[in-house]
Amino acid sequence: MTYFVIFLGICFMLGVLAVASNPSPYYGVVGLVVASVVGCGWLVNLGVSFISLALFMVYLGGMLVVFVYSVSLAADPYPEAWGDWRVVGYGLGFIFVIYVGVVLGELVEYWKVGVLTVDSAGVFFVRLDFSGVAMFYSCGVGLLLVAGWGLLLVLFVVLELVRGLSRGAIRAV
Amino acid sequence: MSPLHFSFYSAFTFSSLGLAFHRTHLISALLCLESMMLSMFIPLSMWSIENQTPSFTLVPILMLAFSACEAATGLAMLVASTRTYGSDHLHNLNLLQC
Repeated sequence: MTYFVIFLGICFMLGVLAVASNPSPYYGVVGLVVASVVGCGWLVNLGVSFISLALFMVYLGGMLVVFVYSVSLAADPYPEAWGDWRVVGYGLGFIFVIYVGVVLGELVEYWKVGVLTVDSAGVFFVRLDFSGVAMFYSCGVGLLLVAGWGLLLVLFVVLELVRGLSRGAIRAV
Repeated sequence: MSPLHFSFYSAFTFSSLGLAFHRTHLISALLCLESMMLSMFIPLSMWSIENQTPSFTLVPILMLAFSACEAATGLAMLVASTRTYGSDHLHNLNLLQC
């Protein structure tokens, strides 16, 4: 299990490296999606599956979708990528994904490497860790209200930033 | 340094370097900001796991909420810049240049 989590950590670094090397925005978003999926897998392997799901939904499903729409504003006619090793790269990558899946699911008897999650037996048992975040409603209710107020405020901030016709923040005309 | 700690530490460093050495697009810089946020979310969650304090799982969720605010504001500025200059190239933001 240790090796699998360390492998996920390395994949996280590589995904973030793909964003930081500042390619054309299309490929940067791909790197960010890979990094966040791998980060979610990392958190699940450590036992906190609820935090991982929250990251998935809010980050991938909310924020990154909006980013992908905004990338259409920043379109390059000739985007620059990381290289053109397409066919061999895809093939090797898919083979590796299948191998990892078979090893984790313990589907083939001879390939057992001893990968287990933190406190259960195997990859099909996930511990639910709701109790900490549920404190938002009991002890942390002030934080919840502040965060909600901040989000409402940002709605109006965005509205004012993109308003045109001489009343916007950046628009000069 | 433990391998996992090194992993998110170097991910944060990569993203901040990518933000500092930005190239053409504003949205690439915003994506680097997002990856900085992601690489901070993971260690905050790991803090509550490693120190066995469930109450600390509030903090990454709170950080996610405020990072959504920051991403929305950044994208609004991207849209405003595109509507003014026609593209989001960073060399267009030169009003303070002497």
